Amino acid sequence: MLKATKKRFDIKILVANSSVSDTFELDKNIVKVHGILVTSDKDDLLYYRGTQKVEINKEEFFPENYESKLLMSGINVAPKQRYYDLGGVAPGNGLVKISYKDLDDGRTVFAPYRVSLYLDCEMEDEL
Amino acid sequence: MMKEQVIITKISIKRKGERKHFQIKLPKNTKFIVGVEYGGRLIDHSDAVVIRTPLPDPFTDPIPPVGTGTGGAVGTGSSGATDTPTAFFKRNQLIGELKLQSCEESNWFFSVDVFASDANLGLGDFSQSGFPIKDYTHGNKRTEEIVKVDAESTIIQGWYLDSFGKSQKVDIKYEVNVYVWINVEE
Repeated sequence: MLKATKKRFDIKILVANSSVSDTFELDKNIVKVHGILVTSDKDDLLYYRGTQKVEINKEEFFPENYESKLLMSGINVAPKQRYYDLGGVAPGNGLVKISYKDLDDGRTVFAPYRVSLYLDCEMEDEL
Repeated sequence: MMKEQVIITKISIKRKGERKHFQIKLPKNTKFIVGVEYGGRLIDHSDAVVIRTPLPDPFTDPIPPVGTGTGGAVGTGSSGATDTPTAFFKRNQLIGELKLQSCEESNWFFSVDVFASDANLGLGDFSQSGFPIKDYTHGNKRTEEIVKVDAESTIIQGWYLDSFGKSQKVDIKYEVNVYVWINVEE
């Protein structure tokens, strides 16, 4: 039986104007990735300064310099509609890679912050 | 098999009223252009006015509740013109105009006024909760503008005209990112 599950992966941005890359592994029983969402503990920094590349199973879904604000949703959006629809991607080897770049835009003062990548997944029940 | 992909093009603006012509090259296996979206980033604002979203701050700009005018109790239908919220509307900061044309067809297939943010994002919030309304907390989910354009020639012609620097009467350096979503055949 299939059931919906959400996965969260965090990276930390400690230095201004830096790039951080990390690879995470999905559970083996995840069969589809339906959506993606990015948030932060300092969401103004993510909104104004962030860009990222996202790969799933070595396939690029969002290229370098894709702005983080395009993958964010505010609290005005209904919880079930907050994820960017990927259309049910097969996770393949289950590796999710995020390459995040912080870039000053003059409107924010840098402080170390966390970027969270959420994935809306569908998984098989463990037997 | 068809697959979606996005092509990112940066338009760099340095002078007030600057007009830019640019080309977006698409991969050879592109079949259709299926969507367009845009974003932007301020590069240098040392001489310029910082882009601020002129949203009402509940801590400093309390909005009087609708229907509490001289007309009496809410629901009597006598509040009349005092309920008209025109004074609360704020003008969005226009950044520029963006237009795209395919080599396949005449005329623009995409034309948009680029705005900094939605200045009236908090207009419908009657909760008076004291939670400051910002784009990054209350913003809507961004989605691309859906278009369907043949992409046999793999070139898009683009045109951008600055309005931000012109309205502020200073040279403002910023970038506009144009995201073109395409269908490619694998």
